[in-house]
Amino acid sequence: MTKIIYGIKMYFIFFKASLKEMLIYRLDCIVGMVSQIVTQLVELIFIWVVFQNTQSISGWNFMQILLLYGITLISIGISDLCFDELYQIGPEYIKEGEFDKILLRPVHPLLSIIGASREFTALGHLLLGVIFTIIMLIKLAIPITFILILKIIFFSIVGAAIIGAILTIFSIASFWTYRANEVMWSFYKIYTFTQYPIDIYNKFIKILITIVLPYAFVAYFPTLNYLGINYNMIYLSIVVAIVLWVIAIKVWNWALSKYRSTGS
Amino acid sequence: MSIIEVKDLVKTYKIIEKEDGLRGYVKNLIKPKYKEFTAVNKINFNIKKGELVGYIGENGAGKSTTIKMLTGILTPTSGKVIVDGIEPYKKRIENNKKIGAVFGQKTQLWWDLPVIESFRLIKQMYKIPEGEYRKNLKNFTEILELSDLLEKQVKNLSLGQKMRCEIAATFLHNPQIVYLDEPTIGLDVFVKENIRQFIKNVNKQKNTTVILTTHDLKDIEDVCERIILLDKGNIIYDGEKQKFKDIYGKSAIAEFIVENKTSLIKNNINIRELKIIEETDTNLKVKFSHTETTIINIVEEISKYCKIIDIHMKEAELEDILKEIYKGAHTNVK
Repeated sequence: MTKIIYGIKMYFIFFKASLKEMLIYRLDCIVGMVSQIVTQLVELIFIWVVFQNTQSISGWNFMQILLLYGITLISIGISDLCFDELYQIGPEYIKEGEFDKILLRPVHPLLSIIGASREFTALGHLLLGVIFTIIMLIKLAIPITFILILKIIFFSIVGAAIIGAILTIFSIASFWTYRANEVMWSFYKIYTFTQYPIDIYNKFIKILITIVLPYAFVAYFPTLNYLGINYNMIYLSIVVAIVLWVIAIKVWNWALSKYRSTGS
Repeated sequence: MSIIEVKDLVKTYKIIEKEDGLRGYVKNLIKPKYKEFTAVNKINFNIKKGELVGYIGENGAGKSTTIKMLTGILTPTSGKVIVDGIEPYKKRIENNKKIGAVFGQKTQLWWDLPVIESFRLIKQMYKIPEGEYRKNLKNFTEILELSDLLEKQVKNLSLGQKMRCEIAATFLHNPQIVYLDEPTIGLDVFVKENIRQFIKNVNKQKNTTVILTTHDLKDIEDVCERIILLDKGNIIYDGEKQKFKDIYGKSAIAEFIVENKTSLIKNNINIRELKIIEETDTNLKVKFSHTETTIINIVEEISKYCKIIDIHMKEAELEDILKEIYKGAHTNVK
């Protein structure tokens, strides 16, 4: 137990150090945020064009889709902010020999790496997500209660944790190839499927995004709850997050021990 | 009691056998042929608490691989390492609390933060008690002359400044064992001197065990009491530094300033393994072997033919000795 408390404490200490480092690069941060917002706006225009031609997608109207979009962006923002450094394991840590240094710390290397995340341009996602969520909740006449706010915050973090666990699992590719970040990126991008109601997809994709890579639990099932369509699936998100992290840590430790015995 | 025990330690790597030409490369891509390469070949040694050990060898001799197994970064192919009662590659994090390490020019400091911030992070990471932290910080700042550097960002420091901070960071949590892999590489003489002094100091005060690999043999000459010499994954010498010099550095050079010479010494002196390098009316330079004769003997002999005014002795330097050993080792292989 003390080990876990120490681990959590060290994570926040590392994260605070990354925050300080980020603040030194203020301009980079602002430029990054703006470019992220622009990218997202392009996607929004695409959704808008679709709705110029149809009233609803699978029974969802424009505003409901945008709420799902906003909720997704919040989780994506948090996960980019907290887990971005996982992409660097191959190209930065292992290739440049920085990884040995991490292995010499009295802290689990995963905490050191995740704690070093400083992709603060992700604040662009977060900001945009919060704005869309608020506007759509108002437009859809969903009462913004204190409970709802807490629920959205909590399940957005749970959603980010799900994405983080999936990224952690695929980050083990870094132990074999320097280009693992590209592998991770392609699996990460699958989340975009869940920006739309999953009923529009065939069986294969449904299984993919609910069971294989359960991105549907990041924002889709929570949004069903907020919209009053399905109240219970949201709570499964917590279970999914925990199970995924247990798997992620096991798999990661296994890959690390493999790496340490080959030393390639 | 030994703090580090190494038993039959082996590390082999699998490397892809390269074939020439595009065809070879394509073949490799589809079905690579692996070749085993033994980096460390069944080595054994024990290190006692508080020892200062120089771990030396040419590039590729297996030094870094050994250090990586001692620190638990790499798992041995076979054999065993026991550091203070545990196998570091099995209980890496527990082992990490007790050790410190410097790996060449890789910094453990936070690149964008002021040095002092990194020290604070290390304090939290190793749970260093406040009093101990302050005491060490004050002490290290003084010896390593860090007072002007603490508030500077690490990325703005020169190589020498960075290494001084790095060394301080490594010793901050009072590690029992410190592994220094090429700590003085690329530094100027003053910084090197400063760092050596620091290592000796801490060793004396806290009985820290230090294992040092370096290409600068002045480091070894200055800091270490014991040498472990590695060649192609095998230990070819393990023992006291002085003995090493005695065994391998048999020869020394003595230069005499003389007067009233009665005859040419070259023709008269008869000592085994003594060679006259230079002889003038006032000057005599000889090379001799410690094992065959003593300097007193030589002085006695020479003074029969002249009056000795002054003597300069030059011991063979570690570097000269190593050069000869490597040359020998390589010709043996051929």
